[in-house]
Amino acid sequence: MKARPLLRWAGVLCVFAAVSVYCIEASGSGDPKAPAAEQADIVLIDDMTAYGKLELPPVVFAHDKHTEALKKAGKDCAACHKQENGKLVLKFMRVADGDAQAMKSVYHDNCIGCHAQTAAKGQKAGPQDGQCRSCHNPKAAAGKQLDMGFTNVLHYRHAESKDIASPSGDKDNCGRCHHEYDKAAKKTVWAKGKEGTCRYCHLDKPVKDAALGVEVESFRQAAHNDCVTCHLGMEQKKQATGPVLCAGCHGATGQKSIRANDKKVLDKIGGELPRMKRGQPDAAVIAVNVDKAQAASGARIYAMRPAPFDHKAHEQATDTCRACHHKSMDSCTKCHTVQGTKDSNFVTLETAMHGLASTRSCVGCHQTRQADPKCAGCHTSADRGKKASNESCRKCHAEPVQGLPALDPAALSGMKAADEKPLAEPYLAARRMEAQVFATEDIPEKVTIKVLADEYEPSELPHRKIVMTLLKNMKDDKLAGYFHGDMGTVCQGCHHNSPVSKTPPSCASCHAKPFSPNEPGRPGLKAAYHGQCMGCHTAMKLEKPVATDCANGCHKPRKK
Amino acid sequence: MRRRKFLTLMGAAGAGLALGKTPAHAASNAHFEGYPDAKAVLFDATRCIGCRKCEEACNKVNKLPAPAKPFTDLTVLDTERRTSAKAHTVVNKYMPAGAAAPVFRKIQCNHCQEPACASACFVRAFKKNPDGSVTYDASVCVGCRYCIMACPFNVPTYEYDEPLTPRVMKCTMCHPQITAGELSVPGCVGACPKEALVYGRRKDILKIAHARIEANPGRYVDHVYGEREMGGTNWLTLSGAPFKEIGMREDLGVTSAPELTSGALAVVPMVAALWPALLGGIWAISKRNEKTADEERAAAVKAAVAGNQAENDAKLAKFKEQAEKDKAGSIEREVKKALEEAAAAAKEEEGA
Repeated sequence: MKARPLLRWAGVLCVFAAVSVYCIEASGSGDPKAPAAEQADIVLIDDMTAYGKLELPPVVFAHDKHTEALKKAGKDCAACHKQENGKLVLKFMRVADGDAQAMKSVYHDNCIGCHAQTAAKGQKAGPQDGQCRSCHNPKAAAGKQLDMGFTNVLHYRHAESKDIASPSGDKDNCGRCHHEYDKAAKKTVWAKGKEGTCRYCHLDKPVKDAALGVEVESFRQAAHNDCVTCHLGMEQKKQATGPVLCAGCHGATGQKSIRANDKKVLDKIGGELPRMKRGQPDAAVIAVNVDKAQAASGARIYAMRPAPFDHKAHEQATDTCRACHHKSMDSCTKCHTVQGTKDSNFVTLETAMHGLASTRSCVGCHQTRQADPKCAGCHTSADRGKKASNESCRKCHAEPVQGLPALDPAALSGMKAADEKPLAEPYLAARRMEAQVFATEDIPEKVTIKVLADEYEPSELPHRKIVMTLLKNMKDDKLAGYFHGDMGTVCQGCHHNSPVSKTPPSCASCHAKPFSPNEPGRPGLKAAYHGQCMGCHTAMKLEKPVATDCANGCHKPRKK
Repeated sequence: MRRRKFLTLMGAAGAGLALGKTPAHAASNAHFEGYPDAKAVLFDATRCIGCRKCEEACNKVNKLPAPAKPFTDLTVLDTERRTSAKAHTVVNKYMPAGAAAPVFRKIQCNHCQEPACASACFVRAFKKNPDGSVTYDASVCVGCRYCIMACPFNVPTYEYDEPLTPRVMKCTMCHPQITAGELSVPGCVGACPKEALVYGRRKDILKIAHARIEANPGRYVDHVYGEREMGGTNWLTLSGAPFKEIGMREDLGVTSAPELTSGALAVVPMVAALWPALLGGIWAISKRNEKTADEERAAAVKAAVAGNQAENDAKLAKFKEQAEKDKAGSIEREVKKALEEAAAAAKEEEGA
């Protein structure tokens, strides 16, 4: 009987101990705090997954937070990153990965070691030994890095910068970044005139190049190594430079400020970006490759008419060279032949030029431009599934122009871009680049729709105003101007499925007055009107009139 | 009857039934795919602007009472509604996740190819017509409202405020009006300003639905709701948002309600007609066996009784004799005792 109270107290103590241990452990694993800098700097350290099942969740690491803290403490990148060949190694405190135990030690010793040292100095420090869940926190916010690309403006800013000097003393800066590997010299060198985009060689993952005998860094490694290292070096020299923190390139705010600076630079030079100095053609002719021997034998060659191509105008209209030149700076027809090659992954020339699945094809890219509310009224999604008209084929595949030499596919095969230029330019110059429409007096000013007037008064359509607005929307757009260069093309937006004409048939010619169950696939007249008007207004994001506001929008209620 | 014997008999009966059913089932590939010229309505949610003209037309065509708020009042759309005895169709507004603009959906009877309401009705008040519509005959209805319970789309409603002749109310696809030649298409279809509703042969309508999906990449979910749901319906729906997001059930499967219940219901005649006969037979056999056994037992008893009679008589006589003997002995003993007592008393008196 005497031992009972003792036992009870021992029990209470045990429970208390268990609860406090649990709570101390749990206190480290709270909900994520306010997202720092749009979470662009949050890196998931999951290197250990390569060694098997993880004992604890991967570590969520705020990179910018550490960079800032180290800067304040007078330390730099070397506190966490080793150097190799004068470059920072992106891995943490090591040059290469070791075995699982070694890797674990690298992180635990260095992270916790630094935190402990900082704490010993009485400064605010990160989690320490025993606070496992503070770093291995399954509830922590995931990182959100926006993709960063090198646009033509950004390229111009680097190419023109006086702070970036070419290593060989060339007047242009190109050689500072563009390189290729010289096997004999065992180093990267600048190959003048052969510059491409980084991504041609630096792929998603590091690749061992057997021919060169080196491992080519991934794009991620290369970009961080070269861009960030250079920016850091310039920052140390107190020179104006690009971002050094994650958020600077991969955060929304950072990207916004880059764009703002781009605009400033553009405004300064008058809004038009000077062309890159790589010897690219102003104009070329895209033609199928024809068997020369066959052509020489006098056999008739069956091929599409070659397409004169305004390279210069397309440079202005795109953000990067990569927009079209996705694998190399060579001409499209080098890999994309009529039958396709292994290099083109058997994507034929026809698909490469017209495929809708890719924005790199001519038609694919042109169609993305139709999503602009100014264009979307006529160019609906239904339009996208339709076969292109013969007129639109002729827009690119040049019809012979009187007085100009015909474009012969056999002669063009294997021709140098420089020789194509004089052939293409007269054709391009002969193009009419402004949208055309019938004479104003031929466009009815108002159209009164009264065939359906029953519940409402006849509806008055401001016909000419609509046509003129559509035309005005295309005024400064070369692409739209060229493709609407024939009179009547604009009219086809509403007056569809009938030949182009100054006096197109009335809507009621094809659309039955009440909807007919015998032909449910064709809209009745009422739906044809409403579908056309409302569909266009919605696509063009016109707020008024509201589709359901019958009596105040387009109709007036009929007095009874 | 023994327990084992009973179970053997039952098992044999069960196997017989099963064998009898299977070949018949396998031999038939009959699958009802709807009446060949049945009509259907296609509702395209991407075209609907939520104007409620269909509700208004439905009200007018079916001569339903005027609603509390006029059909031009679009604030009604702010609350989700269902069909009622006074509104055979309603339009609801949905805001699917990630959508830029609200999506509207019209609700009415879907006119199943094999309707659950008709299969649940034991007086056959519901009828699937060759034109695709499902109609109701109030004259035979007993008011059980099984149809309301059976409908997977929550459509039929009841006139609860009608004390004497309440009816089940639902959309008829304007079957009476079209049959009478008053309308060429259902009221709602004719009223829709955007042709968000089209009416025609179900076969054509299905082709149109698929053609719209193909011709407008990215505009639609690649599915025609009602093509196969619950065995297929004669009201089909196209949508740009996932159907679940515009209040449509995605858990219904493709089997029609009658098909789902036919297995269980087919057993009912077996239980009702076969089991009494079977169990009666088993009872009769066991009863007969019991009767024979009783008779045999009685005979055996009789024989046994007859054989023992003589022996028993002898035994009885012997017992009787013994008893007489005992009786006589005891009398003699008592008399002797009394005499001795008397002699002793006389002696004492002499002595005194």
